[in-house]
Amino acid sequence: MPRWISDEPHEEASMLEALGIASVDELFTDIPRKARIGRMGIAEGLEEPEVVREVDKILDRNRPVGKFAPFLGGRIALRYIPAAVDAIVSRSEFYTAYTPYQPEASQGMLRTLFEFQSLWVEMTGLDLANASLYDGATASAESLLFCSRLHEGHRFLVPASLPWEERSVLANYASGPGLRVEEIPYDARTGRLDLEFVRSAVAAKDVFGVLADVPNGFGHLDEGILDLKSMIGDVPLVVAADPLSLSVLEPPGNYGADIVVGEGQGFGIAPSFGGPLLGLFACRREHARQAPGRIVGATLDHDGRRAFALTLQTREQHIRRSRATSNICTNESLMALIFVVYASLVGPRGLAALQTSLAEKARTLASALGGIAGLQAPRFDSPYLGEFTVELSHGTATGFLDRLRRRKILGGHPLADPRPGAPPAPERLLVAATDAVGEKEIQRYAAAARAWSAAGGVA
Amino acid sequence: MTFRQARWDEPDVWDLVPVLPPGPAPAIPGVPERFRRKETIRWPELSEPEVVRHYTRLSQMNFGIDTMTYPLGSCTMKYNPKVSEVLARRPGAASVHPYQPEPTAQGSLELIWRLERLLTKVTGMREVSLQPAAGAHGEYSALLMVRAYFRDKGELDRRTEVLLPDTAHGTNPASAGMAGFTIREIPSKEGCVDVAALKAAISERTACFMLTNPNTAGLFESEILEIAEAVHGVGGMLYYDGANLNAILGHTHPGRMGFDVAHLNLHKTFATPHGGGGPGAGVLAAGETLAPYLPIPRVVKSGRRFRLDYDRPKSIGKIKTAYGNFGLDVRAYAFALSHGEEGLKHVARRSVLNSNYLAARLGRSLPRPFRTLVKHEFLLSGTPLKERGVRTLDLAKRLLDEGVHAPTVYFPALVDEALMIELPETESKRDVDRFAEAFERAVQDSPENLRAAPRSLAVGRIDEVRAAREPRLSWKDLRAAGAKVETQ
Repeated sequence: MPRWISDEPHEEASMLEALGIASVDELFTDIPRKARIGRMGIAEGLEEPEVVREVDKILDRNRPVGKFAPFLGGRIALRYIPAAVDAIVSRSEFYTAYTPYQPEASQGMLRTLFEFQSLWVEMTGLDLANASLYDGATASAESLLFCSRLHEGHRFLVPASLPWEERSVLANYASGPGLRVEEIPYDARTGRLDLEFVRSAVAAKDVFGVLADVPNGFGHLDEGILDLKSMIGDVPLVVAADPLSLSVLEPPGNYGADIVVGEGQGFGIAPSFGGPLLGLFACRREHARQAPGRIVGATLDHDGRRAFALTLQTREQHIRRSRATSNICTNESLMALIFVVYASLVGPRGLAALQTSLAEKARTLASALGGIAGLQAPRFDSPYLGEFTVELSHGTATGFLDRLRRRKILGGHPLADPRPGAPPAPERLLVAATDAVGEKEIQRYAAAARAWSAAGGVA
Repeated sequence: MTFRQARWDEPDVWDLVPVLPPGPAPAIPGVPERFRRKETIRWPELSEPEVVRHYTRLSQMNFGIDTMTYPLGSCTMKYNPKVSEVLARRPGAASVHPYQPEPTAQGSLELIWRLERLLTKVTGMREVSLQPAAGAHGEYSALLMVRAYFRDKGELDRRTEVLLPDTAHGTNPASAGMAGFTIREIPSKEGCVDVAALKAAISERTACFMLTNPNTAGLFESEILEIAEAVHGVGGMLYYDGANLNAILGHTHPGRMGFDVAHLNLHKTFATPHGGGGPGAGVLAAGETLAPYLPIPRVVKSGRRFRLDYDRPKSIGKIKTAYGNFGLDVRAYAFALSHGEEGLKHVARRSVLNSNYLAARLGRSLPRPFRTLVKHEFLLSGTPLKERGVRTLDLAKRLLDEGVHAPTVYFPALVDEALMIELPETESKRDVDRFAEAFERAVQDSPENLRAAPRSLAVGRIDEVRAAREPRLSWKDLRAAGAKVETQ
């Protein structure tokens, strides 16, 4: 039995005695006999060293990214995490706390979340941020529901280049209220949004929101997004932005975004096979009471001392129930803490320098891949930061990646929807520069790609 | 009262050092000038020790389960084993990208596969998915599955209602609303579902009945088999909210009780830390009818290899990026392995023993609604306090001065001035006794002291009305309000 449960002799006996019963069994007589179970069929418990051995044995079958030259990205970034991040997130006053329902006892977490909200506001150019959502994809999905509360209509427009996982999440969130997610086509050469499509869709009066991502699902920047708001007027504009890109790019609030969402994992959060992640959400002041999720506000205590508390709670499920702005209760507060700690350690200049360096590496990689027969890198003729799309004219993305993997390179990830019923898609992969790669790894990547090409695109 | 929380006069992070005037961000070749940030992010440039001291000081102004007893009802605030923290930080757990090729992520896939199988046994359900990020996310996904099921049957047009008891957590109706259903609340009778009222309310419009068992009054819904039969009798689905699973581990499970779909909270029952509000991990478990609708991908084993299976034509698709909060899956798996069959059963027994022992004692201080045999948590009503001009809220704040957290208060709504108390299995008899003594001292304290509480924390009683009436939600708001930062 683990030592987490006290088993002091006579402890249970004295509790039973106080209750005037002979056995704990008597406390389970309210479960009808027919509803009871026998054994669950689970092995008996292990001592701590055995648990460690058992779990390590399983985890050792993974090959962590450190074993490779990693070029993986998308919404989940591989970035060095400063040691101080783990030192702070390991403070158990933070990580073993519950949601701050008693604000007086939870000023540390509340203040940290207030600083986190403030940071996302500064980065996005909007007015207020919430204390986190589950991840970037669900933040986009919550923004869809948010827009439906601000504007009439049934159609929500998203780029066809949006990652398939995010489109699937959006379709799910749209299904309940009977809304539709429609894809904005992109220009085949540049990957840029077809703004004429947006214009005519909005003119048909049934669009309640438009989402665009920066960089887009292909890793590229679409200058047209800067003009979207002037085109859609009072239809709300959602920008899904990579937070690191905002260290060098115009805050979306400045070009008319009404909501800015994003995936915050790249700021100090380990990839952990895809979770926990961090959903970022910011909006305009006038829409505060439509926002989803927890929000921390500054106020005073009865002595006039500055203090913090969860606020605007009448939006939330525990008060508004079926009419709440969202069902979210547990969020990703600890990940929000990591986000603000990471940004404070790296600093605004450090973030911009990191983004600049990743962009340089990506350009070096693109030029190293230039001219290799059978692949186009980058696939789209548009600016990019740390990631871009590669398209193969023969073979498969998986075959290409397998070949690279044998040379200890994680070469990116396929962009296609893997579901068997999905429409046929070109063989594309998203390639990311990470801070774990340098000139040497980039040349190794290019050499492996040339070998793939020389073999006729056969894995 | 010997408890004192740290009270640091700590400035906000942006007031630690002068913030540099923002200038233009560096230009990146190829990026149009229009896209370039004209002013770098306004945030301080700090040294590592400055950052570490700031957040360490803030941490010292926060309660956690490592510092004190945390009797929040329905939150199952149990000790979070340290071994789980160590394992979740292994490179094999933390440094794996979800889009790595499957052969390089066999360990992650195997851990998911094993934990899913273990949880099918705990829940008695056919299949489990670890994809939801939290309990409410699991509920919502379950309702999307119910929706997809009735769409396939051609019944979605008429299956428009989700029924739930008036004791349900707020997330239940919120999730049902988001999934496009209308909600009908079933009244309780003596703290449990009024089965006659339920039978009168169900019809061929019923898509689903959502139930927490034991419920938020801490009572086991003993008529569960009859409830299941009634709901299935009209073709409806039965949903199990696993928030309170801790009380029944190894004694019964949603499968045996007749549920079609369930969610569990790994951050409650399986001891993963709650992180000051999250992350959580909301497992989805489905019986035969709804299993084909679980989110994709599913982790499957072919021979000795594990792979991601996207070939599930009936699946609702994705509900979040990647495969769930894997870091918490590792922690939960370590917890489950440590306990094993008998250990998990003991978890329920000890949590129910703690709860009944404490309820019997505190029942002498404040009235207990409903029957006295409870499961992992119980309710008290603070109504008698009103005679002395104080409320449950005052009692809650006064408890904080005792160095323990307050219970969940004012929920469920069917009890006036409710206090909902849960002390899970990791609280020893000494802890439970200490909490009881603190509670008794607090109840007996003078109205003046109760109203003045808390006095031993970083701040005194907070004006939450002001927070909502004059929202100051960020540094930007503080600047706009010209609010001078007070650090006294």
